[in-house]
Amino acid sequence: MPRRQGGIDVRLQATQRDGAEEAGLVARLRAGDQAAFRQLVRARHGRLLRLAGAFCRNRASAEEVVQETWLAVITGLHGFSGEAPLAAWINGILVNKAKTRAVRDGRMVNFSDLAREEGEGDAFEPERFAADGHWASPVRPWDALTPEREAGDRELLAGVGEALEQLPPAQRAVVLLRDVEGLESPAICQALGISEANLRVLLHRARIKLRDAAARLVGPA
Amino acid sequence: MLTCHQVAAGATDYMEGAAPPLRRLGVWAHLRICPNCREYLRQLSRSIGLARRALVAAPAAEVEDALAAIFAAHGQGAAE
Repeated sequence: MPRRQGGIDVRLQATQRDGAEEAGLVARLRAGDQAAFRQLVRARHGRLLRLAGAFCRNRASAEEVVQETWLAVITGLHGFSGEAPLAAWINGILVNKAKTRAVRDGRMVNFSDLAREEGEGDAFEPERFAADGHWASPVRPWDALTPEREAGDRELLAGVGEALEQLPPAQRAVVLLRDVEGLESPAICQALGISEANLRVLLHRARIKLRDAAARLVGPA
Repeated sequence: MLTCHQVAAGATDYMEGAAPPLRRLGVWAHLRICPNCREYLRQLSRSIGLARRALVAAPAAEVEDALAAIFAAHGQGAAE
């Protein structure tokens, strides 16, 4: 089944490339390079805030969690082993801090309950498939989505960002952790307190919604 | 033979490598002959790529400045 194998290869290549690029960044950070730190903040702050928002019930808490995370990154940089990517290390710090804070404030989102609520019913609206189980209408190819648009169409990528924000909380959390930040499933289940089956149900629903949003944004060829 | 609805409903299990072997084989066989499902799974996969590149707001200048100041102060402290 070459499709999946190809996907893994692409991910591995991207990971290796990113690893080579960030080795230099880490060295500059450890040397106290201000520009490197600002580069890191610009690249990660918004994503951290978005990730914290999946755990916290309000924006102020999420902002505080992100600030605590940056402090831990600054003080812990010299202890960063480099075994995991820098982004994964920072995300791990954030997830731990977000969980600790949410529990302390009594505002921990119960993802297990949310998973049950958000996983109810058929993931697809009934009119999408005919009675015999075939597509009711053909799946229109995304001919208008050129590689250039995929990489850099700001309107499209902003629209997908908005679609991410509009997902129900548990679906948003899993798609951010799995698809956007690339965490492995067991780590996500542990962080959110959900089963692997719950994770896949939520991920599936989130991906369907994101694909539908992207289809609207991509438009006709 | 699996229906398109069944393939689409199990797409994430398939993509995550979590489908049981027989189901996986069934999806694979269906995809060989069904252009609609091939396109749908391809679009799910491309949507993940788009989500990864989705734009997020840059930090406010004062937030960036404040963090940079803490970084600088920590560097000075560590050097002393």
